[in-house]
Amino acid sequence: MEKDEALIFDYLLQYIAPEISNILFKVSKEKKRNIEEIRLRNNFPLMVYCEGGDYYVSKNGELTQNEKDVFIVNKKLLFKTFQLVSNYSVYAFEEEIRSGFITLKGGHRVGIAGKTIYGSNGVETIKDISSLNIRVAREKIGVSDKIMKYLIKQPDSIYHTLIVSPPQCGKTTLLRDIARNISDGIPEMNFKGKKVGIVDERSEIAGVYSGIPQKSIGKRTDILDGCLKKDGIIMLIRAMSPEIIVTDELGGEEDIKAIYEALKAGVILISTVHGKDLEDIMTKNNLGELIERKVFERIIILDNSKGVGTIRNILDGHAFTSVIH
Amino acid sequence: MIILKIIGCTLIVLSSSLIGYIYGKSYKERLENLIYLENCIKILETEIMYGANPLPEALENVYKKGNKKVSFIFNRISQALKEHKSGEVLECFLMVSDTMKKNLNFKKEDIEVFTNLGRTIGSSNRKDQEKSFKLILAQIKALQKEARLEKEKNEKMFKNLGFLSGLAIVIILL
Repeated sequence: MEKDEALIFDYLLQYIAPEISNILFKVSKEKKRNIEEIRLRNNFPLMVYCEGGDYYVSKNGELTQNEKDVFIVNKKLLFKTFQLVSNYSVYAFEEEIRSGFITLKGGHRVGIAGKTIYGSNGVETIKDISSLNIRVAREKIGVSDKIMKYLIKQPDSIYHTLIVSPPQCGKTTLLRDIARNISDGIPEMNFKGKKVGIVDERSEIAGVYSGIPQKSIGKRTDILDGCLKKDGIIMLIRAMSPEIIVTDELGGEEDIKAIYEALKAGVILISTVHGKDLEDIMTKNNLGELIERKVFERIIILDNSKGVGTIRNILDGHAFTSVIH
Repeated sequence: MIILKIIGCTLIVLSSSLIGYIYGKSYKERLENLIYLENCIKILETEIMYGANPLPEALENVYKKGNKKVSFIFNRISQALKEHKSGEVLECFLMVSDTMKKNLNFKKEDIEVFTNLGRTIGSSNRKDQEKSFKLILAQIKALQKEARLEKEKNEKMFKNLGFLSGLAIVIILL
């Protein structure tokens, strides 16, 4: 059974200072289901991002675009929320804070911005928090069911796949669900589950919270949480013998090197990248080369023309023609 | 008649000695509790510095590992943190200050040092936490020294005073 999405939102409220959460609690159920981000900024109105636009929140919990009578967040409330998010234990989240976000139970993420303090090993901590961005993690089990038939290479393999999408269009959600389908197997299509390794650099795919993935990612899945892609891909190949490696947000030169490494080892790759369409990613360094070399056999292009996570096209990576019929 | 007098006199002497004893004992207890408190804070330091346990759990562990006579206040703080969800650590520390005064014979300055911990704990990284622990432990050591001196000076005095004032009353009455 899928949980009511509005309840997920209410669950998140316990991590927000009571002065703010009392207001957010009053937001209508309909809206609660769709809120993607809650944004707190020092001395600016409380805002939520919902259904593709941002709204102020009035003191009665109504979402509005009118700047009158909105709730203003102050420094004290930000600090309180930060305390709750870090479970009063900044020292326990040093690593996370250094990378700019904290993962909550349930896989929700809280992005942090403020004054960064540099130490001998790069960013040491963030203090004087100026903004918090609470991203509601929505798990959409089954979003990939319809497209799995395009990704399965008969009889018993998977195509190298790249998901191309602008931000906030559901690429991580889709990626996660593809991983789940591959890992669990699809009996109706006679597809047996395969060993999947996830390199979850930003704890977004599996949302691991103290060692337990908070999302359904399949029963044959191993996760390297908080690990850089360049290290993680090699570590997984060495240690966990995955058949498929799933990672998020390709880009860096090092990542690409690791990918060639994985290809050498005969591992199948599924990944995502920020971009509008194929032309857009062709212009990117490193990545363009991967496409030209036809490493990826299937390219899924997402947008939000018909709501978040619309699959605009699935291309064949050799001929660059659509495979949807 | 004489028997009644004797009984009366002993009662007076006994009760005044008891009052003296109780007064004297509060000095002893304060010192003892300060020592327990120091141990508890040391446990908390380990929990945070090496265990990196989140604060509510760390406080609960202190309760389990420390001397229950004092460590129960850590459990209360932990419960308050879990239940209130207000984002205010200091508030939860201040909640126990009454208990510390009434049940544990702590003085105002002891409680102040302890609640100061609530201002800094958890809100910074490990390096800064270490510093504030060092400071607080040093402060508690100083308080212990003071409590010891006071105890030596006053414990005996109050005990004797109680007994002697009892005797004095008896003599006057006779």
